[in-house]
Amino acid sequence: MKNYSKITPEGTKDFLFEECLSTRTVSHILSEVFTKRGFHEVLTPGIEFYDVFSNPAAAIPQENMFKLSDLKGRLMVLRPDSTLPIARMAATRLQNEVLPIRLYYNQRVYRSNRGLTGKSNEVMQTGIELLGASGKRADIEIITTAIEALAKCVPDFRIELGHAAFFKSLVKKLPVTENQREDIRGFIESKNYSALNTLLDSLEQTTAVAAIRRLPRLFGGEEVLEEAYGLFDDEDVLRPLEYLKEIYHSLTTFGLGERLMIDLGLVQRNDYYSDIVFSGYVEGSGEPVLIGGRYDRLLDIFGSPMAASGFGINADALAKVMLSRGQIALKRSPDVLVHGDDSFEVKSIKHCESLTQSGLVCENSVCSARETAIEYARKKGIARVDFVSENIETVILD
Amino acid sequence: MKPLRMALTKGRLEKDTVGLLEAAGYDCTAVHEKGRKLILPIGSGEIEVVLAKAADVITYVEHGVCDLGVVGKDTIMENGTSFFEILDLGFGKCRFALASKGGRTASEFFSGHSEKTIATKYPNVARNFFEGKGMDIRIIKIEGSVELAPLLGLADAIVDIVETGSTLRENGLVIVEDNIAPISARLIANIASLKLRKNEIEALAQKMEEERRRSS
Repeated sequence: MKNYSKITPEGTKDFLFEECLSTRTVSHILSEVFTKRGFHEVLTPGIEFYDVFSNPAAAIPQENMFKLSDLKGRLMVLRPDSTLPIARMAATRLQNEVLPIRLYYNQRVYRSNRGLTGKSNEVMQTGIELLGASGKRADIEIITTAIEALAKCVPDFRIELGHAAFFKSLVKKLPVTENQREDIRGFIESKNYSALNTLLDSLEQTTAVAAIRRLPRLFGGEEVLEEAYGLFDDEDVLRPLEYLKEIYHSLTTFGLGERLMIDLGLVQRNDYYSDIVFSGYVEGSGEPVLIGGRYDRLLDIFGSPMAASGFGINADALAKVMLSRGQIALKRSPDVLVHGDDSFEVKSIKHCESLTQSGLVCENSVCSARETAIEYARKKGIARVDFVSENIETVILD
Repeated sequence: MKPLRMALTKGRLEKDTVGLLEAAGYDCTAVHEKGRKLILPIGSGEIEVVLAKAADVITYVEHGVCDLGVVGKDTIMENGTSFFEILDLGFGKCRFALASKGGRTASEFFSGHSEKTIATKYPNVARNFFEGKGMDIRIIKIEGSVELAPLLGLADAIVDIVETGSTLRENGLVIVEDNIAPISARLIANIASLKLRKNEIEALAQKMEEERRRSS
């Protein structure tokens, strides 16, 4: 039998030194942003029942989940997403909390992607959930938190705003089957204009059809909103449009300029989004690094209706960008090597401690003699060696 | 400013795309005199062309190492996942068809209780098509001339791209379903690139679309 003891499974990896530091740095920066805004960290189990994610609104295809079974033969999955477990937790364990509840998480999620494509099956996801609050104040809070989070990591990000209601109310007016509806959603999501048009050509040409046809192209700056007003005449669509405009204008005071965009064709893969939606992009990452929005119906799944919004950040993707831009500097060699002569081992450790208190990074020498300690220090590029015996002698290596 | 990087499917689509870009006013000398080079500047250096195999075009665009790509709809249907398909370029036209050995009408082919074996280079396309028909089939992936499989008795039928149908006719195969899906070359874009470099990409796509309209 072939032995796989020396390799990691596809889509996973060991994080060594700089890589480890970069992902920890991103988590640390983001945690600080969230903590300062009054969010509290939670952890959910790495293994959950399949049922938590099997709701159609979750839209996580079952082939993308890693499955296992418990002792009773019940189907379990490795956590593929953090929002659903948090919704489950809030609906059951946080029922009597004072609202709103502000939570953040910082945990790995597991997705089984198609093989040999270079995609990670294990991703560090960091994000927030604001539960039990709706309306403009809550939406502004969530979006500006997202902006601050990205700005603290990479300054040249872009944030794109949309609204789930455009697609939802427009598609309701189309004489299409459930499957066709799903196809249309996919075509808009992938901006697949040609396939979308082919499908729409087969329908009766109404205003809704014309609006849907235009939807994937409606992204850019404020001009998009103006164009949209000409396309929609329906109250269901005009209200979200008006709202989006309001949010967009409030956010322009942040001075993001062109980095704040509008995409009326932004439809997230998860069908649970109900109102405002947004995504974040960064140069150097081919996929959105941040996905979020409002999902007021999500907690219904768990029998405890509550307004909810939030976003998730792919911390590994941000870490990779920061590392490649040289924003993460790891110093591998310590400032001082402290070598205690025979029977001064404890004194040597104490000397280390006193040096570290002054802010230096100290390594305790485990070499058997002074000469080997010097040799080791040269190899590791340590500039200073302190010898500890009755006295302390400092040697500076060139 | 970094040049926009565009991956082209080597071969006919490459030639047609270069023709379209030249007609739109981009200098493509570097592509004509490429030698063994794989990354070539065009225009006044604002675009860089990469030559790759069809499925690799999708891979490069998905990962964002290329901003744009030109690839056939057949490859997109078989391998596509997440990228934006922004323009039908109108060339490289053909279609997916189902063909089997002669003597059976379409209704005869789709009825009957015995499981059908389908040989194809496009297992996902074949599976989706038969799933739509409610038929469970056995798929055998063939890399070369798919027409051979039914002739040798390995498969009942094939799902393949058909342009004129002459290869099928010469080998005694008959088309059972002619237009499973129409195919042509598409301009695709990486998700993040389209957001980060919207103006450049849209301007280029618009020029290509205008030129395509003018020439057709």
